[in-house]
Amino acid sequence: MTQTGTPGVPSQIVDADIMCTLDELCRACNVEAGWIAELVEHGIIEPVGRAQPEWRFAMLSVVRVAKAKRLERDLALNLPGLALALDLLDEIDDLRSQLKLSRQLE
Amino acid sequence: MEYKDYYKVLGLERGATQDEVKRAYRKLARKYHPDVNKEAGAEAAFKEVGEAYEVLGDAEKRAAYDQLGQNWKSGQEFRPPPGWDAGFEFSGATAEGAGAEFSDFFDALFGRMRRREGGARGRAEFHARGEDHHAKILIDLRDAFSGATRTISLRAPEIDESGELALRHRTLDVQIPKGVVEGQHLRLKGQGAPGTGRLPAGDLYLEVQFKPDPLYRVVGRDLYLDLPVAPWEAALGASVRIPTPTGPIMLKVPAGSAQGGKLRLKGRGIPAAEPGDLYAVLKIVLPPADSEKARELYQKMASDLAFDPRPQFGA
Repeated sequence: MTQTGTPGVPSQIVDADIMCTLDELCRACNVEAGWIAELVEHGIIEPVGRAQPEWRFAMLSVVRVAKAKRLERDLALNLPGLALALDLLDEIDDLRSQLKLSRQLE
Repeated sequence: MEYKDYYKVLGLERGATQDEVKRAYRKLARKYHPDVNKEAGAEAAFKEVGEAYEVLGDAEKRAAYDQLGQNWKSGQEFRPPPGWDAGFEFSGATAEGAGAEFSDFFDALFGRMRRREGGARGRAEFHARGEDHHAKILIDLRDAFSGATRTISLRAPEIDESGELALRHRTLDVQIPKGVVEGQHLRLKGQGAPGTGRLPAGDLYLEVQFKPDPLYRVVGRDLYLDLPVAPWEAALGASVRIPTPTGPIMLKVPAGSAQGGKLRLKGRGIPAAEPGDLYAVLKIVLPPADSEKARELYQKMASDLAFDPRPQFGA
């Protein structure tokens, strides 16, 4: 990695408060709306808004959906299994960062 | 190219049944999946396991592979014997995804067939927005303070005009915005896979990781800096010069500071609307008693100070 003189491609931090529509999420992840609806039903991603036409997703859902897609494809998980795996992975991430924090504060 | 022992990769004997192959693959795929396993090398192991299963999990490919004989050793220099696959028919069911990127060894044996499939798949898609790509980017902590342009190299499998599946290498200069923290994602519009037909390219998502910094430990937006102090500095108080990512400053160590005490420098962490803080963690360093003078001073303290370091042990 080197510093270069060129301005480079601009990048945008995907903040929790940037939202997208169901349509945008589908296009970004290259998946069907039906699959997203199933992910929502299993609590894998949580939209704002009550009914499907009003759904808005945090832009960060793109990352989660992509991860769900990889796990489904590579490990042949069904949706309840996927939901469980993602929840457990989140928990492990939390525990890891807590462990890191407590080690740093020693 | 090197010979690959696919049985060894899956931890199996040559006589393993198809069920055993499947079980071994599933177990190892779960273990090494890069979304599950954060260890370095997990991704490579996952790909290797996927490649092994691509061959051994398919009765036709397995038979062809077995026919090479079992005298080959893993890593041994390998050339496929001419016409080695004569008499084998491949129906050509290739697993999606995991097998996007296989070794030269695999390509030499089964490459022809893969290319055929790649072509078919390429033609089937008509107008599709390019897929988003996901990767990691490793940056220096100071990049988060000032912003920077960093060059990353990416590799992604891609189907080219002739329908062949090829690895595309490219480098990209990325503007890192100021204030980014570890675990955040950067989105680069239009830098994912190219779209087909009239539809636009996908986006590239980069997960940010910091390179380990020799001075600072990073927790969210906060930084921790070990600050070594002499016993008298901790006891009597002192003003010491410390580094911060934006330049050195003078810090007042209060009298009576204890080992491990944290001094907070508000707003000196990673910048944002609500910036993080910088914590200086006191580490009291003892001068060695390696000279007559030093020993004398320690002895004077021992005799003149009524100091019990272990009051909790009782008399």
